[in-house]
Amino acid sequence: MIDPGIIKVSAYISAGIAVGTASLATGIGSGYIAGGAVESMERQPGINDKLFRSMLIGQAATGTGAILSLVIGLLLLFGGFDNPAGGWYRVASLMGAGLAIGLGAIGSGYGAGVAGGQACIAMGRVPDKNATLLGNMLIGQALSQSVTIYALLISLMLLYSTPLQPEGLAIGVVVMKSVALVASGICIGLGSIGSGIGIGELAGKSNLSIAKVSKGEMGVMRVMFIGSAVTQSTAIYALIVSFLLMFVL
Amino acid sequence: MDMTLIVKAASLLGAGICMGLGAIGPGVGEGFVGGKACEGIARSPEHAGLITRTMLVGQAVSESTGIYSLVIALLLMFSV
Repeated sequence: MIDPGIIKVSAYISAGIAVGTASLATGIGSGYIAGGAVESMERQPGINDKLFRSMLIGQAATGTGAILSLVIGLLLLFGGFDNPAGGWYRVASLMGAGLAIGLGAIGSGYGAGVAGGQACIAMGRVPDKNATLLGNMLIGQALSQSVTIYALLISLMLLYSTPLQPEGLAIGVVVMKSVALVASGICIGLGSIGSGIGIGELAGKSNLSIAKVSKGEMGVMRVMFIGSAVTQSTAIYALIVSFLLMFVL
Repeated sequence: MDMTLIVKAASLLGAGICMGLGAIGPGVGEGFVGGKACEGIARSPEHAGLITRTMLVGQAVSESTGIYSLVIALLLMFSV
């Protein structure tokens, strides 16, 4: 048994970290898309309505990571996690949940922004292909966000499937298990930053390339899929290590 | 307090940080390789096979540091 106040302290700090870090990256990414759209409007004022629409769709997709963090943040604030029977396990898992989704949204916020911004730049260069480019932009952003979904998965599991702390454990065991729960959140959070940014860069370049080719868009898209599948592998290693830290130890 | 359990806790935290930070570099690097491969295919579509092969080899090499992190994380979890 611990004081429920300690669990609340952990939940509030964790909610702040989750929403703060996720918003930071999403702000940069959305700004990049707006910059790309403005640059293209200057070049092609005739299609400004299509560019404006693409910009808004791209920014909405970029905001996904921040919205997922907001959901976790609200759950941490109002989800009623103050049962003192949870003990230090609960304190640690709430902290891990916020760190996982907060750090995990950094990569996709920036990556989806780069993908969308370069799609808008490509639309300005080749206005005829704006439908193909919009589709490719959304695919690229979805690929970039898949790593944030891993972070969301770990975050929800930390919130809802960590056990209550059994009575009468040695303090060392409690410390070990609690540290493992926080480490699980940090691992998937940091691990999905790189893949999110990398897939975003890849999708951005593929948009510029689709604007450049006369035919053979499919070849570029195929390479984008293969490349992003390989790029995700490191995030999957982080996911495995997170699961091991949460359940095996 | 049992010191070995504290050491174990530190090694678990180390495993999480190791895998997390170690995954950032390969992620960004492999994405960069893939982006350049897309540009290359746009410029010369007839060499698509060669470019894809080179991309995969480059990504595999870039992946190696991520695998080192995975190995160290597993060692920290299970054999320290």
